[in-house]
Amino acid sequence: MSFDSLSRSDNTTHSSKRSRCNSTSSNPWNNGQSSSHGSQKGKQKKARQKTLGVAWGANSRSSFQRSPFSDFGSYMDVKNRKLHNQFAAEAAGSSHGGSHTLKPIFHGVSIFVDGFTVPSSQDLRGYMLKYGGRFENYFSRRHVTHIICSNLPDSKVKNLRSFSGGLPVVKPQWIIDSIAANKLLSWVPYELNQVCDNQPKLSLFFALKNASATENASSYPVCIVDDVAETSLVCGKDEKYIEVAETIEQRSMSNERFEDDGRDGKMNNASVHCYVAPIESCRAEPTFMEAEQGTLFQEEVQDSPDEPCTSGSNHLLTKSNTGEVPRSLFRRKAPKGHSTLGDPNFVENYFRFSRLHFIGTWRQRYQKRYPNTPVEFKSTSAKNTASDDPHKTCIIHIDMDCFFVAVVIRDLPKLQDKPVAISHSDNPKGTAEISSANYPAREYGVEAGMFVKDAKALCPRLTILQYNFKAYEEVADQFYDILHKHCKKVQAVSCDEAFLDVTDSIEYDPQNFAKEIRKEIYETTRCTASVGIAGNMLMARLATRKAKPNGQCYISYEMVNNYLHDLPIKSLPGIGYVLEDKLKQCNISTCGQLQMIPKESLQKEFGFKTGEMLWNFSRGIDDRVVGSIRESKSIGAEVNWGVRFKDLKDSKQFLSNLCKEVSMRLQGNGVRGRKFTLKIKKRRKDAEEPAKYMGCGDCENLSHTMTVPAATNDVDVLHRIIMQIFGSFHIDAKEIRGVGLQVSKLENADASKQDGRNILKAWLSSASINWRASDINSHYSEKTHREGQAFDGNPNQLSADSAANLINMEMDPSMDEAYSNRSLDPPPLCHLDMEVIESLPPEILSELNEAYGGKLVTLMSESKGKSEEIGNDEIGNKRSAGGSLFSDAGPSNKVDTCNQMGQSHLQVEGHVRVAQGSSNPGSSRPSNGSTDFMPSSLSQVDPSVLQQLPKELIDGIIQMLPAHREHDISVADPFLCGNMPEDQLVTRSAENSESPNLLWVGNPPKWIAKFRASKSLILNVIADLYMRSGSSRSLSAVLQCCLSKVSADMDAESDGLENSIHCFSEMLKQYIKQKIESDIEEIYVCSRILKRLSVKSEIFQQVYNVIIPYLQAAVNENYGGNLCVH
Amino acid sequence: MERKSKHNQSLQGEAARILVEFLEVAITSIVFLKGIYPPGAFERRRYMNLVVHKARHPQLSYYICSAVSGLLPYIEKGLVERVAVIFFERANVSVEKFVFKLALNQSCDSKVENTDLEFALRSFLTKLAASESLTKAIPRDCRWEITAYFRDLPEAGSNKDSALIWIPTDTKPWLQPPLITPIKSMSSEPLSVQLYLEHPSSLEPMNQASDS
Repeated sequence: MSFDSLSRSDNTTHSSKRSRCNSTSSNPWNNGQSSSHGSQKGKQKKARQKTLGVAWGANSRSSFQRSPFSDFGSYMDVKNRKLHNQFAAEAAGSSHGGSHTLKPIFHGVSIFVDGFTVPSSQDLRGYMLKYGGRFENYFSRRHVTHIICSNLPDSKVKNLRSFSGGLPVVKPQWIIDSIAANKLLSWVPYELNQVCDNQPKLSLFFALKNASATENASSYPVCIVDDVAETSLVCGKDEKYIEVAETIEQRSMSNERFEDDGRDGKMNNASVHCYVAPIESCRAEPTFMEAEQGTLFQEEVQDSPDEPCTSGSNHLLTKSNTGEVPRSLFRRKAPKGHSTLGDPNFVENYFRFSRLHFIGTWRQRYQKRYPNTPVEFKSTSAKNTASDDPHKTCIIHIDMDCFFVAVVIRDLPKLQDKPVAISHSDNPKGTAEISSANYPAREYGVEAGMFVKDAKALCPRLTILQYNFKAYEEVADQFYDILHKHCKKVQAVSCDEAFLDVTDSIEYDPQNFAKEIRKEIYETTRCTASVGIAGNMLMARLATRKAKPNGQCYISYEMVNNYLHDLPIKSLPGIGYVLEDKLKQCNISTCGQLQMIPKESLQKEFGFKTGEMLWNFSRGIDDRVVGSIRESKSIGAEVNWGVRFKDLKDSKQFLSNLCKEVSMRLQGNGVRGRKFTLKIKKRRKDAEEPAKYMGCGDCENLSHTMTVPAATNDVDVLHRIIMQIFGSFHIDAKEIRGVGLQVSKLENADASKQDGRNILKAWLSSASINWRASDINSHYSEKTHREGQAFDGNPNQLSADSAANLINMEMDPSMDEAYSNRSLDPPPLCHLDMEVIESLPPEILSELNEAYGGKLVTLMSESKGKSEEIGNDEIGNKRSAGGSLFSDAGPSNKVDTCNQMGQSHLQVEGHVRVAQGSSNPGSSRPSNGSTDFMPSSLSQVDPSVLQQLPKELIDGIIQMLPAHREHDISVADPFLCGNMPEDQLVTRSAENSESPNLLWVGNPPKWIAKFRASKSLILNVIADLYMRSGSSRSLSAVLQCCLSKVSADMDAESDGLENSIHCFSEMLKQYIKQKIESDIEEIYVCSRILKRLSVKSEIFQQVYNVIIPYLQAAVNENYGGNLCVH
Repeated sequence: MERKSKHNQSLQGEAARILVEFLEVAITSIVFLKGIYPPGAFERRRYMNLVVHKARHPQLSYYICSAVSGLLPYIEKGLVERVAVIFFERANVSVEKFVFKLALNQSCDSKVENTDLEFALRSFLTKLAASESLTKAIPRDCRWEITAYFRDLPEAGSNKDSALIWIPTDTKPWLQPPLITPIKSMSSEPLSVQLYLEHPSSLEPMNQASDS
């Protein structure tokens, strides 16, 4: 009866059609949450659809009103229960009555069939009945175990988790095969292609190696978040986490224990082992990617403080003293460096010792060094040569041989032919991972991505060395210097790998050219490189693989087919384990076999793009062009390891360091960003300390985003924005397990320098000026602010904010100007009506706040504080000022919000507007600044009064009506003329009904008998239907039924047609007359159905033609308008 | 006789109160439906066991509430014929009206259960939520108001209220009788309500879903 608050949760609030996209729900980061979310949403949607269906039915009133269900939730509950019972009953029936008992192979399996499948969902239901499974008609996360479908729309694939709730999405073939095998087969091979088809694609393979590597090793610092990688790998990410967490056997050591170590004076030993920097397992070679996924980086932890340091690690330290980290740093920082706890430089160190980070940031170094290259490519696009004349193109792929090892051991001749691997730690018991191994080591089977302990088991003599980032940098620079010297078209893939387009640049044999380059590289860097030469990038890359180590290979066009024929499909980029398995099932293991399959069937089986890729690659076709580096779309940094905070202060400190890091990266790339996303991994409530030491464990992923109008890369601004976002999380600092900051909507720094920076600086400076003045207020205002607004933010956060964000009410005009220059044009802050602003719901408020770059909240709290102090006078002033200024507010959406509000506010004054509907034409009206006495429209004129007037007077009145003066008078005339006969009709029929012939009197109404007596089949049918319709007595329901019964042949009778039409239309007229005043809806529905019937039958056609003018007249009389009958 | 009329009055009072409450919800739903304000300006509430939207902004909700509750005495007396929610274009031309046509039978003594009445009114809200396709897209900067049409003028002096204020209705007239699209009707004793849409007649073809 009255408004009572719905229990609100974030999941359910945004279900309306109009609702804005909930950024967190679609965010892949949010995988953990989305399962419950998805199913809930799905359910709700269903309920909504149901609502629609019922409400739209023509007989909605009758069916809906009598519904015994209070709401659709209970309706669905009952329906589901009924379906379950039905199913159970049928299952019982089939097992009892069945001639032979079938093995319940699907016991415990409960399927939900989505969309069209072969066999049909009913067949599948039958199978489940027979074989002891369950079948759900409606998706529910709780009941369903498998989703069966043949095809998924793209939107569902993209947002798979919210669709499936994490359940396996399986092809129907699984059920068929299981039945054939008479046992429950694993669903894994039957997983829907679209779903499992997310292994790295070619674009990744050739493009940013490092980026894909980052994505894979997603629990490690992310250097550059690559968009392509993100979308394609997102799905698997979460599972990976879990997998990783599960495989860890290593006992984790508690923090306290760890600190004890330090105090024990075992510093030396401990420090060597405990110094941790995130490492990655292996080179980002696509072939290794899969392996990499399952593995995990873990720095081992000493089990006991007394355990002596292994000799290996001592050796390591002495050997790696060329490294950039001085030993003293190790000692000093290491014990604390494990976590964010107590290490102020955690972020810095974290990234400093990350190889991923090195690769990621190498690119920007490279771009700095060769800033012209992208431009060059654009001007001399190799596109033409690549596609038009393939025989002439010549691509060289050059790759350093085990770069990370080779660079380190070039100064250690003793180790030259010994097995060497690079890793972070050399504890043989540990689970640190090998990131690169040289060829002697590979002979032992040592591979990248392997745990050190496994590698040592394979090869006890293996020497493990640490990274030497400085040397890597140096060699990479030399490497590229040489390449650029020889060739203009260089596409850098990684620090040690590049493509050269030598089509134009060499006149002589590419083989010799390659030899020359290799020789020079060796002489300069003392490291070897391998080269593949072919007509396109794909073949060049494959050639390099053949050439390794320290060789070169040329695959000419003639040889392509030969080479490919026996090449295992696994070697092709873009084919991972899953795709390989699938192909193997089709007995395809080499490219030659793959070539036999027509493109169409490949595309059918594996999807359009994958199919095309397979078809092309198996023929060595690759039309990509050696080009420039893609611009990164977002820049960020993420730390998910070792994050532990004692309190809010810690986390803030950490955040500010992260801001510094990201700001540095932005500046390093010469870009600014407008969109800031803060991701936080929050420990789940019931999660224990993760098995992986200092890992993030089982986490909820939260993310908030803020967009500011002016792009920035300034650390101060960034910091302020991030603090504000962080405040909105309401999170206990102790629960945080990972923090990521990502900046997108990047702009070139030079371009945006002009306006963006100045404004932000202006803000900052004005903030600092005003800071002191309002300092006193801030505490108080904060309080009131929080109380009043239920705005999210923790106290410290807010104080930091209001201190930094403060802006004066009297802003200098230059700022206004700067604002008006931009496309988004919010009115100056000082023009805002604080009262309106404060009353806005938090979402809108934060949106507005974004538009003002965070100033609004401060302003609000400030003004609130002020107004409290100064008193009511001030408020009054402000309000009036606000009100008057609303009229010239800008066109932006956000402003509209308050604009509209303001308008409605202005209109409230009169409380209620009262007008007289049936005003006489001559009656005086209040003037609205004009001098019109007349009602402005004919619709306001009472037609009955008008028609009683003499004709001359009517014309006069019409001409006097302001609207008809302004417009064409002739338009008005037909209106009147058209109405006249109808009105006469009204009176005539009224007379009619006065006569004893009242058809709707009595029970049953008189017309029933009349209709029954009629010879017309249709009338008989209608009478019958009406009598059968029971108590509802609504003609619309009867006509609705007619729709299915009436056919053209029914009005085949020759005589009495006229009579029938007359009877019927008379009946309808009286019905209209009876109902028009009280139930226009019924009349409307009748007219709509009649119209549909009129297509089917001659009688209805004629009745309709008779009725419609009458109907319109009646509506016009009662409602002053025409019924919409389109 | 005396007692009976009193009984009638209380009955109508009850019905009128329910009606006013309903109008408040329905008008808010209309405003929400039309999307004049961002969806965030509304919060979900439960009314008559139905999810409805309520304006969050105090002024908006105050406007609606005060407008309809100000009508209560007149509705009780059966003076209010129609309550319209009118959407205006920029030039103050009304583009769409949601009209509630009310009829409160003064001399009725059949007792309708309040729950039944609520149930009937509830269907308005359900139908309303589903009738977005019938409505026209509103232009960007439009405004709206609630207007009540009286059957005849309330006697002067009976109330010094706002009902005495004369206000202009349309500044620009509609050339022809408007097109009416009924949304929902309900007739019962003592109260009957009809909700229909009024559009200016076919200046432009309406893009409505014609189900025939």
